[in-house]
Amino acid sequence: MSETIYDRLGGFPGVRRVVTAFYKRILDSVVLEHHFRHADMRRLVDHQTKFMAALMGGPYAIDEIGLRKAHRHLGITRGEFREMSALLRETLAEEGVPPGDIELVLARMARLEPAVIAEAA
Amino acid sequence: MARDMTAETALSIDPVLCLQHGEAALALLRLADRSLVYASAAFERLLPPPERAALLAGLDPARPRREIEMRVGSRQLCLDISLRLLEGAAAGLAVLTLTDIGGQREAEYMLDSYAKLAERHARDLEREKTRAEKLLLNMMPRSVYEELREYGTTTPQRFEHATVLMLDLVGFTEMSMAREPSQLVAELNDIFSAFDRVVELFGCERIKTIGDAYLAVSGVPEPSPEHVVNAAKVALRMRRYLDRRNASGPQEWKCRIGIATGPLIGSVVGIHRYVYDVFGPAVNMAARLEATAKPGEILLCNNAMLQLGGQFEIGPAQMVELKGFGSCAAAALIGEQRHA
Repeated sequence: MSETIYDRLGGFPGVRRVVTAFYKRILDSVVLEHHFRHADMRRLVDHQTKFMAALMGGPYAIDEIGLRKAHRHLGITRGEFREMSALLRETLAEEGVPPGDIELVLARMARLEPAVIAEAA
Repeated sequence: MARDMTAETALSIDPVLCLQHGEAALALLRLADRSLVYASAAFERLLPPPERAALLAGLDPARPRREIEMRVGSRQLCLDISLRLLEGAAAGLAVLTLTDIGGQREAEYMLDSYAKLAERHARDLEREKTRAEKLLLNMMPRSVYEELREYGTTTPQRFEHATVLMLDLVGFTEMSMAREPSQLVAELNDIFSAFDRVVELFGCERIKTIGDAYLAVSGVPEPSPEHVVNAAKVALRMRRYLDRRNASGPQEWKCRIGIATGPLIGSVVGIHRYVYDVFGPAVNMAARLEATAKPGEILLCNNAMLQLGGQFEIGPAQMVELKGFGSCAAAALIGEQRHA
């Protein structure tokens, strides 16, 4: 069994730090803030935890159809998706995740872009 | 406790002075008009004026301790509110303490979420394990599987007293060419499943099926003094099952069975594709006897015949020519002896 990024980060305790820091960055972001203004905190944290676990090879697999369904009506732009990716990159770097792993996580996230952004205008 | 008392004494002397220090989100509230006499810097930061009024209006001196969730800008704020009414010189005033429990709440939610993930993951794993176990149990006896699971390997075992039962369905090869394959296989599956149940009922083990041939052992891997008797009972019930099936179905099924007794070696063979198999002269002997048997006949080797006497009805001994064994004594098993 090869070790996942999730394992290298120290399992849940490490991921917890990333989720907390990322969550804070998202809410502080001028670009993204409006999407989360009315979001329920419990749901948001739940999504973030699953999302991180999935990106890092933890015990969750993203269901792309579900992801598409959940984001279809939100009108998320490519720019917003890029902002989210940039924030994740900053967060991971700040948490001391090795550059190779950061690239891997972001590559996985990039694959989700078509499912998350609204139909290209 | 002692410090609390001191704080309260101090507050009753000059409340504002006491609150001006420290990083706590504290305020001094006039209960009559819900106005703030004083608010610490941390209080101002945590609860800016626009959101403050609603919170102050909603305070209830009867509920001095509560947790609330409110929105401040894009954030959902989770606050622990404590209201302490002052007495004496400061009567009519209350100390309002806010504690931001957002981080704590966030961690709780995350833990909830993670716990659910982990539980689901564990359930999936368990299901996967059961499936793998079931598959392996199809390939080897339980005790061998358990040995494999515990030690990662199994050792071949010698069984001094064991009996091999070999069965073959007469005319199956011709049938397989003439009939619709899926229907034929479904019937074969039906028959072998019934055999599996009989085999299990008498503590025997099915080793494998090869096309229409069925190989079972008795006394392996659990030794049993009754191994020959059990094999004979299994053989008789297999034949009876086919007879009954023939009475109600269009297809005429006949079997040939050979039973041989002797020492055996049982072992898991293969590294990636495990299979539990048995080896020994008794296996070959059973196969030869089965090939020699007439349709519907159960042929016993000399050893089995000698051990079964009394309990079973056995035909006269006959000499048969078996490839690799030469001329051997054998006898047909007819049925169980009925006791008066």
